[in-house]
Amino acid sequence: MLMLALRMLRHRIGSAVATLVALTCGVMILMSMGVMVESGMRFTPEPQRYGAADILVADRDMTIETTEFGETSTVTVDLPAGGSVPVTLAERIGQLPGVAVAAADRSIQAVVPIDETAQGALGHGWSSAALTPYRIVDGDQPDTTDEVAVDVRLASAAGGQLRPGDQVPVLAAGSVQQYRISGIVDRTAAGDQPPALFFTDDHAAALSGSPDRAGLIGIVLAAGADPAAVTAEVDRLAAESGATVHTGTERAGLEQSEALMAADMLIQLGSVLGGYVAGLVMFVVAGTIGLAVRHRRRDLALLRAVAATPGQVRLLVVAEVAQLAIVAVVLGIPAGLWATDWVHRQLMDRGFIPHGFPFDGGVLTAVAVSVATVVVAVSAALIAARRTVRIRPTEALGEIAVEPARSSVLRLVAGLIALGGGVTLTMFTTALRGQAGLSAALGMLFVFVLAAALLAPWINRYAAQLLGPVLRAVWGDSGYLAAANLRANAQGMATVLTALVLSVGFGGSIWFLQDNLDRQAIAQTRDGTLAQHTLMSAVGLPASAAADARELPGVVAATPIRRTSVILPVMGGAEPFGAQAIDPDGADRTMDLSVTDGSLADLRGDTVALSNLQAATLGADLGDQVEIWLGDGTPVTLRLVAIYERGLAFGDVTLNRETVDGHTPTNLDDEVLIRTEPGNAEAVAGLAGLVERYPGSGLIDTGAVGAQLATDLALSAWMNKLVIGVMVGYAALAAANTMIMAALTRSRELALLRLVGVTTRQVKRMVHAEQVGLLGTSLLIGGAIATVTLVSVVRMMTGQLVPYVPPLGWISIIGGTTLLALVTTIAPISALLRTPPVNSIGVKE
Amino acid sequence: MTVRVGQTADPAVRVIQLARTYGSGPQAVTALGGVDADFHRGTFTAVMGPSGSGKSTLLQTAAGLDRPSSGQVWIGDQELSRLSETKLTKLRRSRIGFVFQAFNLIGALTVEENIHLPLRLSGVRPDAAWLRQVVERVGLADRLHHRPAELSGGQQQRVAIARALAMRPEVIFCDEPTGALDTQTAADVLALLRSVVDDAQQTVIMVTHDPVAASYADRVMVLADGRIVRDMPQPGAEQIAEQLAWLGRRQLVTQES
Repeated sequence: MLMLALRMLRHRIGSAVATLVALTCGVMILMSMGVMVESGMRFTPEPQRYGAADILVADRDMTIETTEFGETSTVTVDLPAGGSVPVTLAERIGQLPGVAVAAADRSIQAVVPIDETAQGALGHGWSSAALTPYRIVDGDQPDTTDEVAVDVRLASAAGGQLRPGDQVPVLAAGSVQQYRISGIVDRTAAGDQPPALFFTDDHAAALSGSPDRAGLIGIVLAAGADPAAVTAEVDRLAAESGATVHTGTERAGLEQSEALMAADMLIQLGSVLGGYVAGLVMFVVAGTIGLAVRHRRRDLALLRAVAATPGQVRLLVVAEVAQLAIVAVVLGIPAGLWATDWVHRQLMDRGFIPHGFPFDGGVLTAVAVSVATVVVAVSAALIAARRTVRIRPTEALGEIAVEPARSSVLRLVAGLIALGGGVTLTMFTTALRGQAGLSAALGMLFVFVLAAALLAPWINRYAAQLLGPVLRAVWGDSGYLAAANLRANAQGMATVLTALVLSVGFGGSIWFLQDNLDRQAIAQTRDGTLAQHTLMSAVGLPASAAADARELPGVVAATPIRRTSVILPVMGGAEPFGAQAIDPDGADRTMDLSVTDGSLADLRGDTVALSNLQAATLGADLGDQVEIWLGDGTPVTLRLVAIYERGLAFGDVTLNRETVDGHTPTNLDDEVLIRTEPGNAEAVAGLAGLVERYPGSGLIDTGAVGAQLATDLALSAWMNKLVIGVMVGYAALAAANTMIMAALTRSRELALLRLVGVTTRQVKRMVHAEQVGLLGTSLLIGGAIATVTLVSVVRMMTGQLVPYVPPLGWISIIGGTTLLALVTTIAPISALLRTPPVNSIGVKE
Repeated sequence: MTVRVGQTADPAVRVIQLARTYGSGPQAVTALGGVDADFHRGTFTAVMGPSGSGKSTLLQTAAGLDRPSSGQVWIGDQELSRLSETKLTKLRRSRIGFVFQAFNLIGALTVEENIHLPLRLSGVRPDAAWLRQVVERVGLADRLHHRPAELSGGQQQRVAIARALAMRPEVIFCDEPTGALDTQTAADVLALLRSVVDDAQQTVIMVTHDPVAASYADRVMVLADGRIVRDMPQPGAEQIAEQLAWLGRRQLVTQES
């Protein structure tokens, strides 16, 4: 049977190649995505900063109860600001038996100016030194408030100028102070953590702005202590404060590291988009195989007539497909690994993941992908063969190519349900941002395309009827034949139509969605920023910076902004959202949020302003009380005083600085927007002086900020565009495949036409007309689906009714699809037309 | 009326009240309207009749390629109408040979593989001596490794006959086997069929519209409108032609009146 399968495959090389191409590319794509996800999941870094700490105690997430549809459920949300634990807990843990060190660890952003450069560093209390561990290599530990122990990396960066006893300026907590270097420290392990500065514990507490609380507590066990017992005790104490204990591999997750964020991003990308990619691949593979089996009806009918039982025919079909699947796996996996390599390098070059991030694993993925591909291919073959094995052997005797019976009612009903589902989804897509928004749009698109796929035979039939007069008018007799063909081949062309609709739908919607959102964000930023200058600092600006700015001559208004996060209830759970905390005094002169209801001036006390999108999601009207959580998990109830439109640029939530005071890691502002009288030279000079007064800060033109934003958005869009591009490419490949396959089976039909009296030229025109009909229908339907998806998502997110589609976009979609359809059909047909019709008439398809 | 010709024994093929209707409702077409016939072993029967008389339908239902609407078909001691598709195929494969008018062969396989196909599919080990004999008989010993596309129509028909013979079936059905052939090749094919009946005691049932082809048979059965109208031992080609012409005139008269 296998031999027979192989022989028959070689004979029908056309459809075999088509199936093989579809399978191989599918394997390649799935392999790439799979390795990315596997690498992300396998990434278990060793903790660098907390290498010596056996146990870590932190409060990184928050559990809330939500009531949705009458059911209460608990949801755990990661705190965006990291949460904190009371310092007293460290003291109590320190008294437990078996604990050598219990240190309350704080991280303070600091800058050390060395020569002309500013070196970034992290400041800690001295007790944290034991956690890495850092050991003294020269000098002594800091004992007084104005002493600091310096990382050997900083000392060597200064070219040996920093030695115990020297003075060094350190910029931290918004101000510069001179410190005496008490000693030099070094750590034993390597890593990419920033260099460290160690103050006394008390001084570090004072610098941090919240002396009672620390980011986490690190515990080093005494020699000979029982880890399990101590952990249990620590757990008991920690639970009283609502904190959790982390040991082993969990510890690395508490460190801020680029690599961890990269791993998270990979897993997210893989899981969100990977599902859709997998679905697409299965869809295309099933369609291609189904079509290939359909074209072999007569062959299989003859086998049935000669000697093969229905079971044997099924086995034959499965054996063929299984052989192709195995070849596809053998070819596709190395290709996939090569593609992954390329993606790996691209991601590193573009800064999505840090250099040296390992992409390993792959064996597990390879096995999973192989199994999945073979299973899908064989299932598709079985489903396609199911129809075929029921044909009577006498069909083999028939002279004409047989079109199987009409599609079942089941398919029609399923298609209509899918259509209804898509429409419902359009109406109920809720406010989802970023990755979630993209995946919602993809979901809507898929449902619509599924509906089109199920309803394809009916679409073809009715389109043929409608297009009939048009084709006849333009192409004359050729058009008449073309219309008849389209109507008669409605069933067979279903797969082609679906593949084309898929390509157009994808290309037209998701590709431009990203662009639209980015353009909106940039436009909103540009239009909404009335200030010409921004004062920014790497270490934060104290409140005095804004006050000083306001007193400068020629300054119209200055608004300090602190960027933070809040947690909002979303659909039965809670998600962190970006927020800005501002001083509302004069804010309407530096930023125009396009406020539609209420006024920013009312933003005092326990109040909040929301973007219209968020207000709609929370169902809040002006004057309502809104319950949210701040970045550290503190629940607050705020009164809604303003609703604005420019949420993409300025964040969904705008708070008063007073509300978040004490709840952010530092009490410093991130930037100050400054608006000056235009053309006032004094003001510019004054601003320069301001910069000097706050070392480590810089003055930036707001126009430049906008440009940077555009660059950043383009960068992050690259990733999404890559995935979408691959999906569109694969769908287009499927369309090309099926069209070539369909064209090659028509040799006998074309020969018959030519013998009856149709000239070669008329046959070519007939094929043109058919393609135009098919193309027109798929462009129309694909375009409609793309438009609905794009418009609804863009309107949901930005309020714009007409999405932006660059003219090049229109042209490339229509042009690309046209080119695809023409090349994949005209070329094979021309080849077929070269053989004299008398020779082809005797050959079965 | 039935005629016993040749060796007496239980018939190789027997149909009892065989009927076949296509479609339903007012557009139903009755291809066969209750046919009774016995075909004995070692006989060569020609089934004739004008187009639409149901001769191809009779052949296909008798050979198990199609299911009758009512009636019974017996191949030897096995009744066909109750069998499942799989069992039916297995029976067909081992006991019935079928030669179509055209498109008999699998294009992907060589002549030799086409001939071996039923054997391979049923998992039976081929009898090399018998197969050599069969190939000699059809005269294709030098074309064994060619593909059907490289053969002429007559050669393709001969391959089909060889395939039908390979399994040593009890009965061979042929549907217009010489319809697409020139007179010389047709004569060769018919002579082959005749020799197989004479030398190997095969039973051959052939549908044809050509009186010359029918003259090779022992018995001629004429159908019209789904029923048997004449069943006679070999009368000679001219008589057959006369019969058919009379039949055609009768139909014309019936139409005019």
